[in-house]
Amino acid sequence: MIVSWNWIQDYVSPTASMEEVVDKLTMSGLNHESTELVMGDSAIDLEVTSNRSDCLGHLGVAREISVLFDHPLSIPDPHPESIDIDVSTLLKVEIQCPDLCPRYTARVLRGVKVGVSPAWLQEKLATLGLNSVNNIVDATNYVMMECGQPLHAFDLAKVSGGCIQVREARPEEEFVAIDHKTYALAPGMCVIADADKAVALGGVMGGSESEVSEATVDLLIEAAEFTSQAIRQTARKLKLHSDASYRFERPLDSHGVDWASRRCCELILKLAGGELLDGVIDVGETPETPGPVDLRFAQIPRVLGIDVPVDETCRILQALGCQEVSRDAMALKLIPPSWRADLTREIDLIEEVARVYGYDQIPEDVAVPMIASHYSSRDRTLAIVRQVMTSLGFDEAMTPSLVPESWEDRFTPWSDAGSLKSQQPMEGVLDRGSQTAGPVRCLRRSLLPSLIEARRINEFRGNESVELFEIAKVYLPRKGQLPEEPLLLSVVSETDYVTVKGVVETLFQQLHVSHQAKILSSQHALLDPTRQAQWMLGETVFGWIGELSDSAMSENSLRRPCAVMEINLEALFEYVQLVPQQKVLSSFPYVDRDFNFIVEESVTWAELKGTVVESSGDVLEHVQFREVFRNPERDGASKKRVLLSVRLRASHETLTGEQADKVCQAIIESSKREHQAELLG
Amino acid sequence: MSLQDFCHQLNQLAEEASSAFSNATEIEELEAARIEFLGAKNGRLKSVQKLMGTVPKEEKPKAGQTLNQVKTSIQDGFEEAKTRLVSDGSESGVDPTFDATLPGLGRRLGRLHPISQTINELTDIMGRLGFSLAVGPEIEDEHHNFNSLNIPNDHPARDTLENFYLVPESERTKQLLLRSQTSTVQVRVMDATPPPIRIISLGRVYRPDTADATHYPMFHQMEGLMVDQAVTMADLKSTLRMFATSYLGDEVSIRFRPSFFPFTEPSVEVDFYWNGQWMEFGGAGMVDPNVLRSVGYDPEEVTGFAFGLGVERLCMRRYGILDIRDLFTNDVRFLRQF
Repeated sequence: MIVSWNWIQDYVSPTASMEEVVDKLTMSGLNHESTELVMGDSAIDLEVTSNRSDCLGHLGVAREISVLFDHPLSIPDPHPESIDIDVSTLLKVEIQCPDLCPRYTARVLRGVKVGVSPAWLQEKLATLGLNSVNNIVDATNYVMMECGQPLHAFDLAKVSGGCIQVREARPEEEFVAIDHKTYALAPGMCVIADADKAVALGGVMGGSESEVSEATVDLLIEAAEFTSQAIRQTARKLKLHSDASYRFERPLDSHGVDWASRRCCELILKLAGGELLDGVIDVGETPETPGPVDLRFAQIPRVLGIDVPVDETCRILQALGCQEVSRDAMALKLIPPSWRADLTREIDLIEEVARVYGYDQIPEDVAVPMIASHYSSRDRTLAIVRQVMTSLGFDEAMTPSLVPESWEDRFTPWSDAGSLKSQQPMEGVLDRGSQTAGPVRCLRRSLLPSLIEARRINEFRGNESVELFEIAKVYLPRKGQLPEEPLLLSVVSETDYVTVKGVVETLFQQLHVSHQAKILSSQHALLDPTRQAQWMLGETVFGWIGELSDSAMSENSLRRPCAVMEINLEALFEYVQLVPQQKVLSSFPYVDRDFNFIVEESVTWAELKGTVVESSGDVLEHVQFREVFRNPERDGASKKRVLLSVRLRASHETLTGEQADKVCQAIIESSKREHQAELLG
Repeated sequence: MSLQDFCHQLNQLAEEASSAFSNATEIEELEAARIEFLGAKNGRLKSVQKLMGTVPKEEKPKAGQTLNQVKTSIQDGFEEAKTRLVSDGSESGVDPTFDATLPGLGRRLGRLHPISQTINELTDIMGRLGFSLAVGPEIEDEHHNFNSLNIPNDHPARDTLENFYLVPESERTKQLLLRSQTSTVQVRVMDATPPPIRIISLGRVYRPDTADATHYPMFHQMEGLMVDQAVTMADLKSTLRMFATSYLGDEVSIRFRPSFFPFTEPSVEVDFYWNGQWMEFGGAGMVDPNVLRSVGYDPEEVTGFAFGLGVERLCMRRYGILDIRDLFTNDVRFLRQF
């Protein structure tokens, strides 16, 4: 809202300087954006929050100044003289869409002389950045800028049939506005029509045909109320925003409608002569009178933490326009002013007292009681996960939760149901290289497509050693309830399957996960069919690790190797041990033994290890994989040699050579029995 | 031979030996010099020593003294040269192949995303002020995102163009949307927990702004909530001042400017006075009685304050980041700066 400093003086003249006034307005709710000097006047740009539509006119701002500086406010009281012909004999108004336009008032002037506005009017409007049109249009604009109520003047001669119908626009109804552009209207929009056609787009803009011109003699002055939501949608759909629509999008003062109409007619009579018909056509809802609100004085310190003197409380509220109904030592009963639709409750009045009395009165050094806070085990686990990932050389990435349609099926092992979609896409979030990927409106079911894209961008930019991880939610649809939002950890790496597997194993170690993950074969098109696996933790699917398939590599224009993983942290949270417990360590001597087994290729390390663990009993301290070696000439095709070592140690005694031999024999025999493993050498 | 000649020969020998030892660059060369000068049979020192017999008797003690001095000095010269050659083969600490300024062989650590680092710091500070972290879903229903936050049906914040509403599963299902603020978590916590409450909620929120240097359709918010029997705006101001002092590491002043949010009343914008200027921090206010009522609290029994801020803005100001889109492009050159 741009305010003319000279204009303000018409209603209130504080002794304070403009700077002081502007400063105080900022600190009481009208944020000062800028001030511009315009021909001997100052145009002050104030930000008006959506609840304060009373300040969308000079009178409202003047009232604020009057309250803040305790200085009298003078409000004009318009009583235009009228002739002895009743307006209803000339004009009929009918509202057919009360949900779009709850109230419509009209006055009629005859025999006006349309002409140039006087300098004082032109100058005031110029300060606000408004061009002068003619004395009639300028008068409507002046009153709107004075009190915030938009008005419209029609050339009565162009309103055929002497009747106004306020109705919903018809499908594809066309309308030419005063900007001479044609707009295609739609139901849900409110038009002001005469017997034949729309003459204005209600609350947004007048029509070019019925606009006031030099030939205009008789006027219809409209002052109406429109539903804010409907105006908002109409203005937005047509991309047609006006000073009127801006105001009608907010709650306006129902009781001010008639004041504005009278004020406008008075001004026109003064500027353009003519005669005003008696009375007003006022159809639709009768304005409601606001009900009384109680303010208990004790509530002020309860909310604000400071006392405000009762006299000052009463002064502030009355100066703002509240009418005192009653008062005792404990409380005040007030009727809030009609222009303050935001004041309906005690707390609203407390806010008024606070902002005028001054928030700077509230101390910033009271003793806030101390209480203990805690980090949940989830928070603590995530902190460790992040620490491990950065320690392993991964940089943390952050990618949007929505992905383009063409990525949406790239990797979807967590849910078979199609992804949820937003009605609107995210705009401007795709890299230049992925502009053709489609609208970004799918709520992702995997982080990997986003991370692979980040990898692609990095390769394109010539960056090396691109090791990235992200911790974020995915969104898995569930019928009839909010979607499931598990937190995943995903990785893209330039290494390979085993290195990424090592990442997961390191995480397990650092989080003291003793549970063994089960590794199953998997088939995902994103991943190389021979280099991928699914992980299970207990009965829960824990995640996938793999190297990208050739087709995925070329589809994403990747040149360097790419291994990925995606694990479900929700599954991990159950198995972590944040406070590990000490195990008593044996101090007796140990025995190390190596085994070099020849087995079929199909025997996995996990299987062989399982057998070793099972057959060696409780003296086994650990079993370690050393290497795999192949010698097809000696061992035959499809065989491999697996070298492993075990460390044996008893907890309460020295393990004898005989005992150790016995354990080794058991290992050899079980491996032979279960895996046809031949011991070499 | 006169004492003078004897001493002269000794000194000349000492000089030659010293230069031979110090010029030796190989241990073999040094050994040859040792044999030449200090050889037990035919060493030159030995030869000079033999001449002592020809020195007049009365001058013999003086000659013996000089001989011993020279012998010691030649031997010391040899030992010194030996130590030098044996120790590391380098010459007085100069190895032309050694470059002390070559890069060290470190292991590269990864970096946490600047947003994560900011969040960690905020969580940490709020934790010290007694606020625990609460989490909640990012996809919400209208009840939690709007109704319970006192945002009426015709409020512009509910507009379909202002939110990422989801395509409904069917006509009868509840309208879902990506949360536009983390206050939804506060509602869920209050729904489930009786007062007192002291929490922060932190996470991704979504609004359909086209991405540019200062906007992104996804960003992070931190919101704090404290509800108890006698929480006032003075508590709010004091808590925020402590927060700002912790975050900026210096004494900071707080300023409230009136504002408007549906879920707080009174509502204020919060500024910090720091480094000689006022900086915008975020929004705050006293929890609206309607919000307290909607979660089953009695506004006559308890009061509360809430505040919220945009993590990206704080993060960008902290690290001097100029374009918000850089935060989500994940160029490792960018990520490795923080």
